[in-house]
Amino acid sequence: MVTRWWDDSSDRRPATSAPPSRPDRRKFLKLASSLLAVGSATGLAAACAPAATPASKPADAKPTEAAKAAAPAPTAAPAVQAAPATAAPKPAEVAKPAARVPSGEIKVLLPTKTTTLDPHGAQSVDTITFTATRHVMETLVNREADGRFVPNLAASWENPDPTTWIFKLRPDARFHDGAKVTAADFKASLERVIAAKGPQAPLWAAVDGIETPDEGTVRIVTKTPSGTLLASSTLLLIAPARASTEGFFAKPIGSGPFKVVSYREDADLRLEANTDYWGGPPGLQNMTFRYVPEVAARVTALETGEVDFTWQLPPDQLPALRRNPDLKIDEAPSYSYYFIWMNASRPPFTDAKVRRALAHALDVDTIAKDLLAGVGKRATAPIPESVFGYAPQTPYEYSPDKAKQLLAEAGQPNGFETSMIWNPNSGPQDRELVQAMLSYWAAIGVRVRSQELERAQWLDNLIKLDWDMDFQTNSVTTGDADFTLNRLYHSRANRNGYKNPELDKLLDEAGSSTDQQRRADLYAQANKIIWEEAPGIFPFELLGSYVYRKSLSGFVPPPSQTPSFNNVTVQR
Amino acid sequence: MAAYILRRLGYSTFVLWGALTIVFASIRLAPGDPAQLMLGTDASAQDVAALRQRLGLDRPIPIQYGRYLLDALRLDFGSSLRLDQPALQAVAERLGATAQLAASAMLLAVLVSFPLGIWAALRPRSIVDGIVSVLSLLGQSVPGFWLGIMFILLFARQLRWLPSAGSESWLHLVLPAVTLALPLVGVLTRLVRSGLLDVLHEDYIRTARAKGLTPRSVVSRHALLNTLIPIITLIGLQLGHLLGGAVIVETVFAWPGVGRLLVEAITNRDYPLVQAAILMVTTGFILINFLVDLSYGYLDPRVRLR
Repeated sequence: MVTRWWDDSSDRRPATSAPPSRPDRRKFLKLASSLLAVGSATGLAAACAPAATPASKPADAKPTEAAKAAAPAPTAAPAVQAAPATAAPKPAEVAKPAARVPSGEIKVLLPTKTTTLDPHGAQSVDTITFTATRHVMETLVNREADGRFVPNLAASWENPDPTTWIFKLRPDARFHDGAKVTAADFKASLERVIAAKGPQAPLWAAVDGIETPDEGTVRIVTKTPSGTLLASSTLLLIAPARASTEGFFAKPIGSGPFKVVSYREDADLRLEANTDYWGGPPGLQNMTFRYVPEVAARVTALETGEVDFTWQLPPDQLPALRRNPDLKIDEAPSYSYYFIWMNASRPPFTDAKVRRALAHALDVDTIAKDLLAGVGKRATAPIPESVFGYAPQTPYEYSPDKAKQLLAEAGQPNGFETSMIWNPNSGPQDRELVQAMLSYWAAIGVRVRSQELERAQWLDNLIKLDWDMDFQTNSVTTGDADFTLNRLYHSRANRNGYKNPELDKLLDEAGSSTDQQRRADLYAQANKIIWEEAPGIFPFELLGSYVYRKSLSGFVPPPSQTPSFNNVTVQR
Repeated sequence: MAAYILRRLGYSTFVLWGALTIVFASIRLAPGDPAQLMLGTDASAQDVAALRQRLGLDRPIPIQYGRYLLDALRLDFGSSLRLDQPALQAVAERLGATAQLAASAMLLAVLVSFPLGIWAALRPRSIVDGIVSVLSLLGQSVPGFWLGIMFILLFARQLRWLPSAGSESWLHLVLPAVTLALPLVGVLTRLVRSGLLDVLHEDYIRTARAKGLTPRSVVSRHALLNTLIPIITLIGLQLGHLLGGAVIVETVFAWPGVGRLLVEAITNRDYPLVQAAILMVTTGFILINFLVDLSYGYLDPRVRLR
């Protein structure tokens, strides 16, 4: 569906309070880009594209910032959104999306499979589904790697009182069929998520009503103050209101920089550039997402150039790839981490001393160096350091003597026998990590039996609290401590047998407060309690290792492990 | 003939019912709750219960079973719990890729093993025979996943002749087909060789030679035709096996076949998908066996009389 450029720009003119020169410039650029597009069809692009691409690059670093500058400044900016809305202007902010001509194609190997392109249901917090669909559909708000919230489909937002959030939508955003993105579409998408009762629904549990006073305004009223609403908004992808119709997600449309060409769950997902994208066309003309389960095949495909990009490879594959002159590896912090839970409702783990003893027994640094080089590092809190609410804690020193002493104090001088459930494919090197930890614990007399379970059964046991110890990875998907701490360590969740009314109070207040500084302080206290009371041991946080061909540029690794290719370009 | 086909149909219905019942029971006996798996670790108990109700998993097992059989009669297996489509449609889409792979592998195996087997049988205990025997033993005993990975490393990474994995073009078919064909070549070659060796000592072969037929004609028209029944039987069984059992090769080469779909469906406790896939695979197996049986009549007139 092609939107006529004159319609498009005349529509934008009254809606934005941009300087008068802007629509004209836009119009000119649109015209220029369509001329270039015609050129590409006749083979001229080969000459034009490389010249156009570098020139446009600095400008699209923050396409969203332009909108923010143009949008009317929200009145009465409370503390919450003071940070994002009044962020110091960046040099890129004044620049507008330039006439970038999408060119080239990349193939991306996904680390696991997409089973659906519906981002609202059972897969609504799945990072792979989000990675695939975020190019087609968009969120109201994005979160930068440094934790700041930046406008996306929402040009601005305000929080006039603790239970009300008002979002102003961009007036120039359109779905791939040309229809405007309206408040009704947002409302329908959020209602879909809540009705689906999928894993994203609990994030919106506080929502009392969604009002749409006009087509460009969304008003969300919450039952209790919700300090996590912006964080949750970074996961909610907005589809047209008609998305509920059967079969829509077989080939969904959205307002994003790419359109779906074809999708089948067992074959490639093919996308093409949306040249009418409100933020300016993306750098790539075509993009393919593919899933290959076998590691040798994945690595081979990267080396031979059959594919251009992948991530979450096993660490033993990285050294060889590092030596490959055609490939580049970006390492970045992530929201994912490993933890070991000890069921605090079962003896002997009812005693915090026993739990701490097991933490002191592990030589975390050595294990990280030997087994997780390039994919993980020592964790310093119950949540990774890139998550909002993180506060560093004193590490548990590796000391078998101290561990034995703690066991003796707890009345277990000779150690004990126990078991640990885990499911393979939970994270990198899981099997090796289990073996290493088991031998460290054996050294202090704690004989842990490894109980490797198929995922279905592991999940069954985990939820029923039918286990002594549990080992797994987890991801703070929203990048906000609330997602993990409130969900896993509140007494009402009862996920690991640990109950502490003091912690509950902290978590309740931190989850509902809209004062972000206050929230950070409360989570710092919660971090400390969880770390010291040790219902779990938090040995490693994982790094995102993104491997790609050097012909790609413009990639910025995100802590959420949901890479975006909107600003990636390729030289061939 | 009509009575024969009718009787076969009766058997087939019985076998299908058995397969449907066994898969219904076994996947429900396996621990794990599809609703919990769909919603993940974050869902509340109420949400899981609500989903169980929506999926009809809260009803008594006999009622679920009755419904399931009635729906199966109408070829309605419900929607896959994981994929956004009807279960049967998901399987049908995969069946094309599976059939393509199975047929290519089998064709390749037949084209290679017949000449090899004949060659070896005509020179028993020669060096040629020895080499063929050793190679076919190797083909049978090398595990598919290892062979597949070695092929990828050699032909995709080192030589860069072929793509590593995927299903875009016919070039992607080469490595998985060869990987699947090699063990088949092993079995078939040995079968052709031993069958032919047995027959070549029969009196009618001597007669055929004595009446002056060329050795070529003796082998192809008199000897080979009479060894075909066990070979066709084996081909049929192996083809049926390839329909659902090529999981490892499909996984290594990311080939979108039914086998991989089935394993993923079992992992996710995707009841409708497992049931639909098993029905399709079983039907395929029955169909192939039926064709094999019909071919007996064609190959051996004595079978037709019975």
